[in-house]
Amino acid sequence: MAFKIASSPHVSTSLQTNKVMQRVALCLIPGILAQVYFFGMGTLVQILIAVITCLSAEAAIMKLRNKSIKNALSDNSALVTAVLIAVAIPPLTPWWMTVIGCFFAIVIVKHLYGGLGNNIFNPAMAAYVLLLVSFPLQMTNWVAPSELAANQVSITAAFAHIFELSTAGLDHFRIAVDGHTMATPLDTFKTDLSMGMTSSESLQRNVFDGMTGVGWFWVNLAYLAGGLIMLKLKVIRWHISVGILMAIFVCSGIGFLLNPDTHASPMLHLFSGGTMLCAFFIATDPVTAATSTRGRLLFGAIIGVLIFVIRTYGGYPDAVAFAVLLANMCAPFIDYYIRPRSYGHRAGN
Amino acid sequence: MLTLLEQIDKGTLWHSPGGVHPPQLKSLSNQTASARIAPAKQYRIPLPQVGDCARLSVNVGDKVAQGQQLTEGEGFMYLPVHSPISGIVSNISLQHSNHASGLPVLTCIIESDGLNSQVDYQVSTLGELTNQQILDKTKQAGIAGLGGATFPSHIKLNPASEIDLVIINGVECEPYITSDDVLMRENAFEIFKGIQVINQLLSPQRIVVAIEDNKPEASSAMQQCLTQFDDLQSTVKITVIPTKYPSGGEKQLIQIITGREVPTGSIPAQQGIVVHNVGTAYAIQDAVLHGKPLIERLVTLTGEQVKQPGNYWLPIGTSVEHALEQVGFTAMDNQKVIIGGPMMGYALPEYNVPVLKGTNCILAPSANEIAPDVDEKACIRCGECAVACPALLLPQQLFWHAKAEEYDKAASFNLKDCIECGCCSFVCPSDIPLVEYYRIAKSALKNEAEEKQQAEQAKIRFEARLKRLEDEKLAREEKSRLAAEKRKASANSASNKSTVAEAMARVAAKKKAAEQEGHSKTAEAPSETGASNGKSAAVKAAIERAKAKKLANKSSETSDSTAAEENPQPVNDKKAQIAAAVARAKAKKLAANQSTDNSASVEENTAPVDDKKAQIAAAVARAKAKKLAKQNADAGIYSTTDSETVDSSTTEAAAEVSSNAEPVDDKKAKIAVAVARAKAKKLAKQNADDGIDSTTYTETVNSESVDSSTTDTAAIVSSTLEPVDDKKAKIAAAVARAKAKKLAKQNADADIDSTTDSETVDSESVDSSTTDTAALVSNTAEPVDDKKARIAAAVAKAKAKKLANQQKLSEKE
Repeated sequence: MAFKIASSPHVSTSLQTNKVMQRVALCLIPGILAQVYFFGMGTLVQILIAVITCLSAEAAIMKLRNKSIKNALSDNSALVTAVLIAVAIPPLTPWWMTVIGCFFAIVIVKHLYGGLGNNIFNPAMAAYVLLLVSFPLQMTNWVAPSELAANQVSITAAFAHIFELSTAGLDHFRIAVDGHTMATPLDTFKTDLSMGMTSSESLQRNVFDGMTGVGWFWVNLAYLAGGLIMLKLKVIRWHISVGILMAIFVCSGIGFLLNPDTHASPMLHLFSGGTMLCAFFIATDPVTAATSTRGRLLFGAIIGVLIFVIRTYGGYPDAVAFAVLLANMCAPFIDYYIRPRSYGHRAGN
Repeated sequence: MLTLLEQIDKGTLWHSPGGVHPPQLKSLSNQTASARIAPAKQYRIPLPQVGDCARLSVNVGDKVAQGQQLTEGEGFMYLPVHSPISGIVSNISLQHSNHASGLPVLTCIIESDGLNSQVDYQVSTLGELTNQQILDKTKQAGIAGLGGATFPSHIKLNPASEIDLVIINGVECEPYITSDDVLMRENAFEIFKGIQVINQLLSPQRIVVAIEDNKPEASSAMQQCLTQFDDLQSTVKITVIPTKYPSGGEKQLIQIITGREVPTGSIPAQQGIVVHNVGTAYAIQDAVLHGKPLIERLVTLTGEQVKQPGNYWLPIGTSVEHALEQVGFTAMDNQKVIIGGPMMGYALPEYNVPVLKGTNCILAPSANEIAPDVDEKACIRCGECAVACPALLLPQQLFWHAKAEEYDKAASFNLKDCIECGCCSFVCPSDIPLVEYYRIAKSALKNEAEEKQQAEQAKIRFEARLKRLEDEKLAREEKSRLAAEKRKASANSASNKSTVAEAMARVAAKKKAAEQEGHSKTAEAPSETGASNGKSAAVKAAIERAKAKKLANKSSETSDSTAAEENPQPVNDKKAQIAAAVARAKAKKLAANQSTDNSASVEENTAPVDDKKAQIAAAVARAKAKKLAKQNADAGIYSTTDSETVDSSTTEAAAEVSSNAEPVDDKKAKIAVAVARAKAKKLAKQNADDGIDSTTYTETVNSESVDSSTTDTAAIVSSTLEPVDDKKAKIAAAVARAKAKKLAKQNADADIDSTTDSETVDSESVDSSTTDTAALVSNTAEPVDDKKARIAAAVAKAKAKKLANQQKLSEKE
């Protein structure tokens, strides 16, 4: 009688790739809810557009590559990319920009490099940077927090804005969203400093509530909560997140202690913009990160330092996307040079 | 800081990195006591070492008793196999064995006769046995490590280094397997008996029995039993370690117990640590105290497809099929039967294979126990494998390189340190069979290393062959050289008389010449010598005349050439005629040097000589004459010196020898030639030395003269060659050529030392001499019809060419 032969081990864990991705997507929910609460329904519309675009692009490219569409869609990796793009861009971004970004992320950044597991750059962040450098106006106009806005962005208003239903054109966009949008706290802070104001003067503005940006604190806190759940579920390991947060804290702390007038406080850095989203959901993308534990700490530290440096000295108010892409480039080097000492080997072997 | 022993006594445990916690599922099989199954009709004993380091001691049709040894051998790694049952050897052939590959292995098939006859097992007590006797008993009983690796135990019990710590491995970290658990529960006493044996052999400072905390019954049974052994109380410690796979791996267990790592490429014994399985300890006491060979072991039969899972004492050689049938196995679709546990065990291709010494578990799982076959998905570099790896490797990097078949790069990530525990595959979210990739990469690297080694060996063989051929060639040359020397030596002793005579004659002639120096008394000399009678005397006379004439020519302007021509004519002997011709030719040359009138007479004289040999001799003579003429011409340019005189005498001596040699028909001729050569060489050397020591001017002259003498010698040798038809002559010729070459070289060296002015002269003269030699050699060679002669000629020409080249080169310098 012949039996089925297989290589050992004959058992494995039940945590498959698709489940990992699914959990990542689910852990984003607290942050999304906070974002919807403070910045309106636009984010939900963006998620819808992004998911549809990403899944279609993934299916199309898998067909072109003669590979199983079902396998690709069921691993949920395109879904996570879509949601990350959607929460990163301003909620009232025109639909065609979202489509361009998603298409670029899936087709160019992911599949032209060989698909899942082979891409060098984080697809969501590459798409974000593409949109940021191509459409700086739209990408820097964030929706005003509900507390400060004249009127809350309803779901219909969001649809109207995003799909430019009333009249097409950029001018109209500007007028239409003027009532809802304003610079982000980090942007405001940077502009104020460049205009000769001190940080404490800048923090008196209405986008800040004394310490951090209105609404942004809670959004970051929600992403932090989602990240902690992921850590608990062992979906991610702590090294990258801790690396990023520690590096930001240390760098901004030193800067703030040396010159509080021209530096943002560690609190502002940690709970503004995309810090927590980056630390737990974006930089922890295993494909584009370093793999060893020490390598991951370093990888995270590089991102953290870059975020601080670009925010403080660079031209962009938030720096998450650039920092992540630059660290992505370093990942292969980190993996090559930081190897764990194998059992029975002396250090350095 | 506590010492390691204190730490061990304290029960300190260290952290072992990585590891996983797969579902244990041990309660399936450890709920019942060990049992036996109905004996099978047939047992198959693989004989893996036969033909390698062992031979069969039974034949087909032999009756064997239980415990009877089936093989004999002497090797270090050799372990005998024994018949597990009394019966008849029905077949010895290649059969599938219990291995993942299912490759056939030489197997002894024994049909049970049901008589249960057994060999006498020799019972002993530990006190009466020496260590060597214990080791012998262990080896003869075929004891191998029962943890799975089946390494011969007598080797591990007799390590080269001092052992401080023995670890008795009762960890059994693989899911499902409970054979060690049940053995410890039921046979703790026997295990401690085995530990006593190990203690006596290795006398370690501590013995640690390591048991995972998922086996409380086993550890309490062991702890309880330990109280019965007073002698072990102070040495043995039972340590319970936390459950984690793969804590039972030798390296991992050592790390947990001692905090030390076994350096890569070394064995634990080098650290003073030895690890034995509890099952092995049991088998050792069985062998040493009861004389019973290893013919059965406790095997866990488990899995949801087995109705009565449990631990069973199975004779080695029982077929897996029979064992599973006895415990109510039912196969499902795509049934897997796994030997060992689910983490490291291998799936059997078929189950009609024997239970072996290392078979600790037969697992027949149902579909919901075992991961269904899923397609490998893309690696998302999550790094979980690196977290799980107990060897601290980067499994994902290894996978990348193994998949791309970049095995050297995989090796650089310490692939060889992979223990194939399966933790990485276990945690992989993309269902990548990582261990399979590593196994392929490892075997590819192994093949590569073997091929490299083979190539290296082939290279060594080839180089040895080249060296052998070269040595043989050198030996041949040395042999022929020695033979030539021997010949020369014997020839010297034989021709002593004639040499002495010749020397005397030469001395006389020289003296005369010296006397006559400055005067024109040359006419007297021929008449004096001409009076002497006898064949050789006539020849000598002719030579003397020629010499005298030459000297006369040199010193005075008078044309005595006619006299020289007249004198030889009365000599009627053929050889004498030749000599005369030579002399005439020389004279003519000299004359030609001084006056052009005599050229016609030379032609006349040469014509009558009808003999072929004579013609050759004449040619030689002409060449010599030419040389001398040239010398004279040179001498004319510079003034005559003492050294020149010496030179010319050299030439004369050579000429003398040549004329002398001809009549001598065989051996003596050769001897004479050899003597002449030796002399010529000596003189030439003298000249060369002189040349080097003397002024630039003398150098020039000397080297010139050496040149001519060299040429002459060669010429003489070649003329001598002809009559001698045998091989030796050819050899002599070759030797002569070699000498000529050497001399030429010496000249060349001398040239380099001399001034630019002389250099020009030298190289010219050497050139011409070289050409002359070649010409002469080729001339001589022609009449010889033998093939070898032609070859020799060709060789000579080539050499001449080479010399010319050398000259050119030295000229350039």
